[in-house]
Amino acid sequence: MDVILDRPKASMSDRRAELERKKAKLQALREEKDRRRREKELKDVEEATSRTIMGGGGDRKELDDLLREVGVAPVSDVFSSISSANSLTPEHSRNHTPDTSLQPNSLPNNVIAVKKKVPQLTVVPVQSTNIPPKEVVLYTKQTQTTTTGHDVRDAHATDYYVLTYDDGQEGEEEENSLPHLGGGYGSKLPPGILPHGLPQVKEVRPAVTQLEQEQNKKEEQKEVRELSEEEKQMIILSEDFQHFVDRAGRIMERALCESIDIYMDYTGGLGDDGLDEKSHQRISLNRHFFDERWSRNRTVTSLDWSPQFPELLLASYNNNEELPNDPDGVVLVWNTKYKKATPEYIFHCQSAVLSATFARFHPNLILGGTYSGQIVLWDNRVQKRTPIQRTPLSASAHTHPVYCMSVVGTQNAHNLISISTDGRLCSWSLDMLGQPQEILDLHRAQTKPAAVTCLDFPHSDVNNFVVGSEEGAAYSACRHGAKAGVTDTYDGHQGPVTGVSVNAVQGGIDFSHMFLTSSIDWTIKLWSLKDSKPMYSFEDNGDYVLDVKWSPCHPALFASVDGGGRLDLWNLNQDTEVPAASALVGGGAALNKVSWAPSGLQITVGDGQGKIWVYDVAENFAHPRHDEWNKFLYTTQELRNNQVDDELEKLNYSGSSQSSISMTALTSTPLR
Amino acid sequence: MSNEVEETMKRIQSHKGVVGTIVVNSEGIPIKTTLDNTTTVQYAGLISSLADKARSVVRDLDPSNDLTFLRIRSKKHEIMVAPDKEFILIVVQNPTD
Repeated sequence: MDVILDRPKASMSDRRAELERKKAKLQALREEKDRRRREKELKDVEEATSRTIMGGGGDRKELDDLLREVGVAPVSDVFSSISSANSLTPEHSRNHTPDTSLQPNSLPNNVIAVKKKVPQLTVVPVQSTNIPPKEVVLYTKQTQTTTTGHDVRDAHATDYYVLTYDDGQEGEEEENSLPHLGGGYGSKLPPGILPHGLPQVKEVRPAVTQLEQEQNKKEEQKEVRELSEEEKQMIILSEDFQHFVDRAGRIMERALCESIDIYMDYTGGLGDDGLDEKSHQRISLNRHFFDERWSRNRTVTSLDWSPQFPELLLASYNNNEELPNDPDGVVLVWNTKYKKATPEYIFHCQSAVLSATFARFHPNLILGGTYSGQIVLWDNRVQKRTPIQRTPLSASAHTHPVYCMSVVGTQNAHNLISISTDGRLCSWSLDMLGQPQEILDLHRAQTKPAAVTCLDFPHSDVNNFVVGSEEGAAYSACRHGAKAGVTDTYDGHQGPVTGVSVNAVQGGIDFSHMFLTSSIDWTIKLWSLKDSKPMYSFEDNGDYVLDVKWSPCHPALFASVDGGGRLDLWNLNQDTEVPAASALVGGGAALNKVSWAPSGLQITVGDGQGKIWVYDVAENFAHPRHDEWNKFLYTTQELRNNQVDDELEKLNYSGSSQSSISMTALTSTPLR
Repeated sequence: MSNEVEETMKRIQSHKGVVGTIVVNSEGIPIKTTLDNTTTVQYAGLISSLADKARSVVRDLDPSNDLTFLRIRSKKHEIMVAPDKEFILIVVQNPTD
């Protein structure tokens, strides 16, 4: 226990002593450290001073070495001679320039040497920086000499050009920098010996390019030979090629047919008496459309004009009995603007096309009504001659031949109206040919269906229309309303009605109630929708009258065609007994269809052998004078009065059907 | 489809005054021709390079423009060129006929 108790006491004293010792030690250490630091500082200072002294000498040595390298050897000697002066101020020796500038006064003899050398010393480091570029120049020279010396060169066009430009410039330098070669060396020495000869280079290079060109030419010629029959066939069968031929061929044909002679010389030319002759005629043949392959022996079944491109004429053709393997139905688009004699587009389908029309608001679509009852749709953007769409053959649509079609309505709300010979009217949306939007069956006398052969809508009417039938009667009908279907019957013809046309001329007086019908009974009849009896019968033809059409711009002008090949133009304001102009078309083949161009200045006639004849109508004859409407009103009144005279004894004056307009006309006219 | 190509070629060839029809690809190699071999090769090479030049002229004058048709009228012939991206249609006609 004592030991235990004593220990802390002893340790306390021991500790104190120890602490004292440690403190003394620390003090000693601190002093030692301080002393060392001081010594080190002193040493550093000494070293620094000695180094500066030594450094001055070293600098001088370096400078000497540098100068010696450059080739200015005597500098060190000079320095040693002036070292006595310089050693007095060793720190300043570094800054040579101020030093030397200060010295000349004290050392006049050496100054000249120092002055000369010291600036060189300052320049040397600058020169040393300049040396590398000079070395590069030398290096490029070497490469040039080797390249020029070589006869074999790269075949790359870019390499060739770069080298020539470099060569030209370097060559000039070389000429200047190497005077030992002398002038005119290139011409005197043979080209193979001198590797540096520049003219030689210039001569050789073009030769190489020519060779290259020749090689290219040879390669091309080789390629021409290389293209084998199979490769050609592959290209021909590619779609790109087909597209190209289609497009380029079309353009080329138009260009070929353009027969305008740009070298026409009028100074010595003869007057165009041909035109004078023409101007006397009311109608003159312009041209005809015929395609040996596609329209031969096919009856033209319908004609239509493009609303967007008034020069495009659409014609549908019946089957060709001589070629049963060819498609039955053909539709051709002809161009009346260009003189090319081939169709712009060719379309066909399996069943004979009896009616065709442009889809009025879709410039690319063409619609066809077929013998089978299907409605088919072609697209001229598609590289395909067969229909891109067709309606189904089902009881919900047509099952009989479709002889008449029409697109009615406006841009945003239009329908295709088609009527088949069983009297069924279908109205279609062009977006949905899967099934008709509406079906309406046209009946005569309650149950018997009307065998419709032709259809016409009055201008901008979508509801009311007139149809002609095989029974010989014409019907007016409407699509909507409480009495949808046939509203009135116009009985007068002895044979089937072949054509019907409603007067569509816009003007001061509305004649849209007047319509014409043509029939196999050799007559054309003029009707008013308000009268069930014909207003007048034109009985000048000696054959089936197969079509009739009002002019689109003259209210009293219409055209008719007959089976004897005669085209008649009637101007009712001039004469109602005989046609105003007539032409025997072609070789007298039966004419099936007639159509006016939208301008009213051309008339096209389709015959039974696949030819379409285009006639120009004289402008003064085709265009109405401003009084033609009143005159026509007067004429119709006269016709009515004649009719009344004929039936006078029957006292069957149908006053109720007279329009208010005609009543006023009646009172105003002094006739009878 | 290829008979449509034939049809078009035949139609062009049957035009009055047409001496020859050549279809050339972009490299100046004739693909279809109605002329003899040497004449075809000559026409193909020369006309395709001329068409290229003409196209570059048109494009240099106005970068948004492009060559569509080229007619070369000479005393004896008229050469009509319808260039396209990949092919060139060349028709040689005798306009006086």
